[in-house]
Amino acid sequence: MADNSGFVVAAYAVTAICLAGYWRFLRRREKNFRQRSPRR
Amino acid sequence: MSRALGTLALVGLAMGLVLGFLVAPRELTQGNVQRIMYVHVPAILVAYLAFGVVLIASIVYLVRRVDAADRIAHASAEVGLLYTGINIATGAIWGKPTWGTWWTWDARLTSVSIMFLMYLGYLLLREMVEDRERSARFAAVVGIIAALNMPLVHFSVYWWRTLHQPPSILRPGASALPRVFWMVVLVNVVAFALLYAYFVMKRTRVLAYEAEALA
Repeated sequence: MADNSGFVVAAYAVTAICLAGYWRFLRRREKNFRQRSPRR
Repeated sequence: MSRALGTLALVGLAMGLVLGFLVAPRELTQGNVQRIMYVHVPAILVAYLAFGVVLIASIVYLVRRVDAADRIAHASAEVGLLYTGINIATGAIWGKPTWGTWWTWDARLTSVSIMFLMYLGYLLLREMVEDRERSARFAAVVGIIAALNMPLVHFSVYWWRTLHQPPSILRPGASALPRVFWMVVLVNVVAFALLYAYFVMKRTRVLAYEAEALA
């Protein structure tokens, strides 16, 4: 069977982009709220 | 606490990568493309866990009306949806070289897609209903109903003739995988579960801030 390494790289890249994107979304939201209320 | 969880998850994911690419051998029939399994399977197993948490938190909310339970259900559904999306996307990428198609209306693929759409609907419903108490109540009911789809997803490969293979891990009897493959999947399941816990913790905190800001 062919090596198909491109498909493996694509699958891992999609996973990394999704996880890192969500982490970034959470970090931004949290940062916004912290800036609005510095007591936190 | 959340920082420690995040660090542990990151270490677990790095370990999973090393084991998946450097320790696990190249599979005999599929070749390298089988390595997609190390993200595809953990993603759906932890999505099941996430939707199980939605079910429990929804019941707790309906019985006790605890806001924290509603926030946990909301956060867990969001992360579960993310993991299900990863599972569907990596499955399509795996399907092309092995089945010759990105997509087919097979019972497993269709039932997972229905599960994805149900939890997407759950999150949309939360945004649509303005009154917070009503939104939480409606979402809790949907969170319980949507969980009924999970056994359908898991057992679809037994109940219908499918292109998708039967489960390799959550199945009666011993695992269908050789020990080394099974170990890599296990490490990634733990890493994905730790990351899930980290995300839910962070998302729950953000939801609490949002609720405070709206009050």
